Amino acid sequence: MRHFLIVAATLAVVSPRPLAAQAPQLSTRDSALHALNRLAYGPRPGEVDSVVRIGVMRWIDQQLDPDRIDDAALQQREREFKILSYDREDLAQRFRDVQRERQRLQRESSPPDPLSASPRGGTDMRPMREFRELGGELQQLAIVRATLSERQLREVMVDFWTNHFNVFVGKGADRFLLPSYIEETIRPRALARFEDLLIATAESPAMLFYLDNAQSVAPGSSPPFPLFARRRGGQGVRSRPTGINENYARELLELHTLGIDGGYTQQDIIEVARIFTGWSIEPPDRGAGFVFRDWAHDRGTKHVFGLTFHNDGKDEGIRLLKFLANQPATMHHVSAKLCMRFVADDPPDGCIDAAVAAWQHTRGDMRAVLRAIFTSPDFWDARVVRSKVKTPFEFVISAARAISADPDSTPRLAQMVARLGEPLYQQPAPTGYAETEAHWVNSGSLLARMNAAVALAGGRLPGIDANLDAVIPATTDHAQLVDRVDERILGSTMSAHTKSVILAQLGDISDPTQARVLAVGLALGGPDFQKQ
Amino acid sequence: MTISRRVFVRAGGLALVSLGLDPLFLARAAFAKTRRLSPLSPLSASDRPILVCLFQRGAVDGLNMIVPHGDRLYYQERPRIAIPASDVVDLDGHFGLHPSLAPLKSLWDNKSLAVLHGIGSPDSTRSHFDAQDYMESGTPGLKSTGDGWLNRYCEHDREHADTPFRAVAFGPQLPRILAGSAPSLAIDDLQAFGLRVPQEDARDRLTKAFEELYDGAGTGLLASSSREGFEAIQMLKRADPTQYRPAGDVEYPSGRLGRTLLQIAQLIKANVGLEIAFADCTGWDTHVNQGSSEGQLSARLRELGLALSAFTRDLGDGMHNVVVLTMSEFGRTIRENGNSGTDHGHATAMLVMGGPVNGGQVLGRWPGLEIDQRFEARDVAVTTDFRDLFAEILARHLGATDLAPVFPGYAPTVARFPGAIRV
Repeated sequence: MRHFLIVAATLAVVSPRPLAAQAPQLSTRDSALHALNRLAYGPRPGEVDSVVRIGVMRWIDQQLDPDRIDDAALQQREREFKILSYDREDLAQRFRDVQRERQRLQRESSPPDPLSASPRGGTDMRPMREFRELGGELQQLAIVRATLSERQLREVMVDFWTNHFNVFVGKGADRFLLPSYIEETIRPRALARFEDLLIATAESPAMLFYLDNAQSVAPGSSPPFPLFARRRGGQGVRSRPTGINENYARELLELHTLGIDGGYTQQDIIEVARIFTGWSIEPPDRGAGFVFRDWAHDRGTKHVFGLTFHNDGKDEGIRLLKFLANQPATMHHVSAKLCMRFVADDPPDGCIDAAVAAWQHTRGDMRAVLRAIFTSPDFWDARVVRSKVKTPFEFVISAARAISADPDSTPRLAQMVARLGEPLYQQPAPTGYAETEAHWVNSGSLLARMNAAVALAGGRLPGIDANLDAVIPATTDHAQLVDRVDERILGSTMSAHTKSVILAQLGDISDPTQARVLAVGLALGGPDFQKQ
Repeated sequence: MTISRRVFVRAGGLALVSLGLDPLFLARAAFAKTRRLSPLSPLSASDRPILVCLFQRGAVDGLNMIVPHGDRLYYQERPRIAIPASDVVDLDGHFGLHPSLAPLKSLWDNKSLAVLHGIGSPDSTRSHFDAQDYMESGTPGLKSTGDGWLNRYCEHDREHADTPFRAVAFGPQLPRILAGSAPSLAIDDLQAFGLRVPQEDARDRLTKAFEELYDGAGTGLLASSSREGFEAIQMLKRADPTQYRPAGDVEYPSGRLGRTLLQIAQLIKANVGLEIAFADCTGWDTHVNQGSSEGQLSARLRELGLALSAFTRDLGDGMHNVVVLTMSEFGRTIRENGNSGTDHGHATAMLVMGGPVNGGQVLGRWPGLEIDQRFEARDVAVTTDFRDLFAEILARHLGATDLAPVFPGYAPTVARFPGAIRV
């Protein structure tokens, strides 16, 4: 750690010079806007100026050391979220209450009328409603944090890792396991060493359940007590698992570490699955925490990637994860994905190589890896500036930030993100959402963005306090209005075409408030704002 | 109201402009159409084959939907929930429809309804999540497939023009089956498609403004996608969904499924280039109090039967190029459980209906209900891999030429097609 800080301090001192040398074509303001677009969810009004004042590289340094950034305002807002006061055991208890209630209702319900009530009708009971509200809170909490946090880069990395180590909230127990996955597994390690994050996800009940490792046992093993007894009338059959389950092993290699071309075989997957036998979770009524079940662990010898594992219990898995975390294929796979997020959909080799070199140097310290990307010439290349289309999440958050909106704890903005095509925590496939635009840019979702923009500009979304008066005062001078919108919302990058279209549209509108709604709506929903 | 594609091809670009439509897009559509059909065939838009998929999420009980009333074991295993033989709408002496599906009997009689029994996934999972995922990704057992098989079909079959309405999912979000790089549209409500401004004048003005803005977006995906979006709005405006009235005296059942099928019929009649429509219908996870001829499952099937029947009558002759396919992630246990319900099983039944269907028969190989014929001694065994049916519909109905990229690692062959589509 001390070593890293020295490196960081050195870079901080020298960085303004290489930056200027590498990117003469970017003005300081352009650099500040670019940094805010990529390391943060876009600028809030006045933020480009304040980053210029601080110095772009110094601001980046601050973002890489988030614990030293004051975030009291957000912490105050987080208190509105009930979900943060419940731990995993509380949520497990609530989940079980809901299950019981649902079963009771199903048993008691008379056959529903075919043409009016859905079979889910009548389930609007208190525990269920509460649990649903908590689910909405979980999504909205991500929105509020991304919008309001001063530690913007950390929020971007939380989003990145949550997606990289994707867990689908709709799969059974993950409905209540996801909050602790976000709070305890991902968030504290968003800028940590990769292997620490990898181990934490491997041990997380959410991942163990999602990718079925919780029920992967050595063939022929049996528990000392009847743990998986058949449950009467429950959701499906939970007969005792009788063998290994390869799902986690496969995704660990293909998605989390080495990558699909990482050079492993089906036999490797089986060996890895054997190593992870016994990594499981306690039943929900005992808190659903991580447990290593010695009886379920395959004690045989495993050979994989030139390593030998023999009857070493849980340590086998830890040793394998540390090995995988620092393989060249892993470094390249994850660095390339980071560069897709921060630099370009099709990132140049230079920034990837820089990230891999930093990874090797620091054994995967993410702050060093990110710093290597942010100081690489590729990051500042004028061709990558404003070349990426914002994801649905990035679009909604950056729009809210642009107009200084203050979202409350109701899931309004989260629902908007869902309508744009990427509902939070609801990607069923372990791949997470793709990092490239083809997956979220389509005609339907673009129309949805225009609707979202107009709704935001018109203040038509209850629960979101958009303070337009402070950002863009209403005026009858249309040219002045458009200039102000350009400066505040687009960081003075509005194209001449956009400017002329908006001005023409304002032509016959004399009411200053209406003119402002239209100008802001068109600016947020137009093509310039879709890019970062 | 509808647009004849013949006009476009014969009259060329100038006539298109006078229709107020964008010539580029329509020329593209017409071009693809000429490539697909021989130059002599009439280029009527209604020749475009259409597939409508309904996903019965929650795992429908195939045995009570298509009842093996000729099987003694069926009655023995389900003392409380079996459909009495006297209530079953007989199809072929051995199988029959649940009485709530009686509205579909006429389709069976005119040979436009076929049933596939014993169909399902080669993967043994009994998790709704995993099984739905596999049925939509088209790669059972493989979780990391990012896209869905219907999207891969659109991506790889470029013979068919991409119109904004080529592949449409009805619902708030794009389902897994249509996820991927080919453009597809999620429509929650056809009438509210486009910009949501209550007054028509204001809506038109705003639409026009955004359209002009995106005209300046240059090239790339943002430009082409937005252009398709505005084209779609134009086309729908002409079709005017608010004025839609189903044919004759057809009434769709109230509820989400009826509303969705009505909107699909609207889109088909509007001739906007629809090739694939997808919708969910939920409520099939009948663990408790499933019911028999009446009850929970019966209610769901009644809605399904009425909605499908209304759909086929509404389209009338239009059904000659439409295939409707129902699918569900797995079936349910042969034996009823302690709560007068059924638990998660293996194979289920699917319905295929429409003009091109080789109807009036139960297809597939019936595995039987004896203990040693069952999957893991409890469930109906899978004798048809769902990919064989899906592949046949893509190949023989939609005219897919290359199935390998649609079902990677499987390579469907004609020999395995269950024979659901007339050749």
